[in-house]
Amino acid sequence: MSRFLPLAYFQKPLEQGYKLLPLRFAPLNADEVVITNQAGEWSVISRRTLNALVRHQLSYDDPEYDALKAKHFLIDNDSDVALDLLALKVRTKLQHLSTFTALHIFVVTLRCEHSCPYCQVSRQSDDRLAYDMSKETAEKALAIVFRSPSPAIKIEFQGGEPLLNFELIRYIVLRAKEINEIEKRDLQFVIATNLAVVTDEMLLFCKEHDILISTSLDGPRDIHNKNRPRPGGDSYERAIAGIKRAREVLGHDRVGALMTTTVRSLSYVNEIIDEYVSLGFEGIFLRPLSPYGFAIKTRSFAAYNRDAWLRFYKDGLAKIIELNKSGIRFVEFYAATILTKMLTPSNPGYVDLMSPAGIGIAAMVYNYDGDVYASDEGRMLAEMGDKKFRLGNLHRDSYEDIVLSDALLNPIEESYTGSVPMCSECAFEPFCGADPVYHYATQGDVVGRKPTSDFCSRNTEIFKHLIELMRGDRQIRAIFQTWATR
Amino acid sequence: MNAPSAQGAGATMEVKFDKAVFHVDSVKKAAYRFLDRFTPEISLTDEAIGCCLTFPAGTSAAAMAAIIEDFKKEVLDQELRRSIALETEAYRNAILALAFAPLQRTRK
Repeated sequence: MSRFLPLAYFQKPLEQGYKLLPLRFAPLNADEVVITNQAGEWSVISRRTLNALVRHQLSYDDPEYDALKAKHFLIDNDSDVALDLLALKVRTKLQHLSTFTALHIFVVTLRCEHSCPYCQVSRQSDDRLAYDMSKETAEKALAIVFRSPSPAIKIEFQGGEPLLNFELIRYIVLRAKEINEIEKRDLQFVIATNLAVVTDEMLLFCKEHDILISTSLDGPRDIHNKNRPRPGGDSYERAIAGIKRAREVLGHDRVGALMTTTVRSLSYVNEIIDEYVSLGFEGIFLRPLSPYGFAIKTRSFAAYNRDAWLRFYKDGLAKIIELNKSGIRFVEFYAATILTKMLTPSNPGYVDLMSPAGIGIAAMVYNYDGDVYASDEGRMLAEMGDKKFRLGNLHRDSYEDIVLSDALLNPIEESYTGSVPMCSECAFEPFCGADPVYHYATQGDVVGRKPTSDFCSRNTEIFKHLIELMRGDRQIRAIFQTWATR
Repeated sequence: MNAPSAQGAGATMEVKFDKAVFHVDSVKKAAYRFLDRFTPEISLTDEAIGCCLTFPAGTSAAAMAAIIEDFKKEVLDQELRRSIALETEAYRNAILALAFAPLQRTRK
C-alpha cells in the first residue's frame, strides 16, 4: 500500500485555477519581457507566456508555472503563504527606513589645492579660511548625528580637501568616540581625500582610530593629471604615493578609490581598469559626472552624453567580466549595487537608487557654514546658489526642525517611485530610485519627466544589460552572484 | 475595430483608438512614455480616442511611422497593465498592509 496520496489529490486544487499577484512588466526585446513583483523578484518570460498568465490560460503543467509560482507572480489553492512571504520580503527590502540616517557627511572645509574643472562641490582656493568648519559647528553637528536612531553611524569627512582642516577631523573623531562611550553605536569614520597633503602623523591618527581612506583615482598618470590639475601637476604621483603609504600604515583593505568619468576617460576604459587592478583594488565604480558645481560651469558635464557613457560603461563591464572569468576577482561597484537588489533580499541603501529617496534618510550633510543638506548633491547644488535641499542650520534649528522640514519631507513624498508617472508601472522600479536632486538639477522638478530623464534611460539600459548578461552566460550569473553578496 | 488609423503629413499625425476596446487612461499612459518623441493632444469623440501627435521638426516620415508603431504596441501593453492592476489591487494593498503592520501582536 502506498504511503502517499494519489497524484490526482495534489493536482485537484491546481485545476481550480490560479490568481494573479501584483506584477509589472517591461519589454526586454521583441519577444520577451521582464516581470517583477513588489519585493523585486524577477523573471524573463516570453510575451506568449505573459499573455497566457494574465488571461489565466497558463496550465499548471506548463514548464513556467512552478517558477512563476515560486517567485510569487501567481497564487493557487495549493499554497496560502505567498502573501505573507511577499509582505515579509517587502518589509526586508524597506528595513533600512526604520533605522534612518546612517551616513553623516562633515564638510570640514571647502578649501582645496587641486583645481579640477569637473569639481562638483565648487571648491575654494586653499588660503580662504572662511570656508573651514568651526569646532562650535562640529559640536552641534555631532549632537544631531547621535539623534539618529541608526545603530550604525558612519561619519565621512569631505571637502574641498578635508585634510587641509585635519585638526578639526581630529577633534570630531575624538569627540564622537567620547559621545559613543555612552551611545554604544557601531561607529565608523571615512576620510574622502585626494591624499596630496597626507602626512605620516595623519595616517598614524587614522590607524589609531580605525579610519578608512577613500581617495580619487581617475586612471593612468596622463588621464588623472589632466583631469585633476594642481600646482606642480603631480596629482597622480601624490595619489599613488599616498595610497602606498596609507596601505603600509593602515592595511591594504583600508584604502579605497573612486574615479570620475570625463570626456578624456571615454576612450581609455581598459587602461583605467588596468590601473585599478595593478594597484590591487578590489573593484572600480565606473561613475559618470553629475550635473553640479564646476562640472556645469566648465561644461565638463555636457562634454559627453548618456550614450557615450553607456558605451564606456558596457565596454568596461565586459572587460571586468573577462578578468573575473580568468580568475582575477574584481568588482564593478555600480553593477554590484544593482545586483544586490536583483539577487538578494537586501537593499544596499545607495542614495541614488532608493525610493523613498535616500535624501536625509540614508545621508545627511553638515556643511562648513552650519547649513544641513539632505544629500551630498544637495550641498553641491547649494554652492551653485540654489538651496532647495537645505534642511536647516545647526546654529538655529533642532533635530526635529531638520528631519521634519518641508525641504526634506516634500521631495521624498513627491518623488516616491511607487506613485509617480511611469515609475509606478515600471518593471525596473524595485531596482531603481527616485533621485529628486538629480531631477531637480536637470529638469527643475523633483519628480521629473522620466521620458526625457537621462537618469531613467541610463539606469533602464543598465538593468536590461545586466539581465541579458546573466541570462546568456551561467558563469556571468555566478560572478554576479558573488558581487551581490560580497 | 481596434485597429488605429493614422492620417496626416509633415510633423503632425493623427492616431485613433476604438473607445469600445481601449481605455483612455491606457492611451494617456502610453502617450506619456513617448513625450521625448512627440507631443500628444488627446481628445474623445463618441466612438474614438483621438491622438494628434506632433513630432519635432526634422523627424523623417520613416521615423514617425516607426514611433507610431511602437506607440500602438505600448497602448496594448498599457491595456494589459491595466487589467493586471485591476485584478491584483486587493493583493497589492494587502501585501503593503502586512509589510507595514507592527511586528509584535498584543498577547492576551
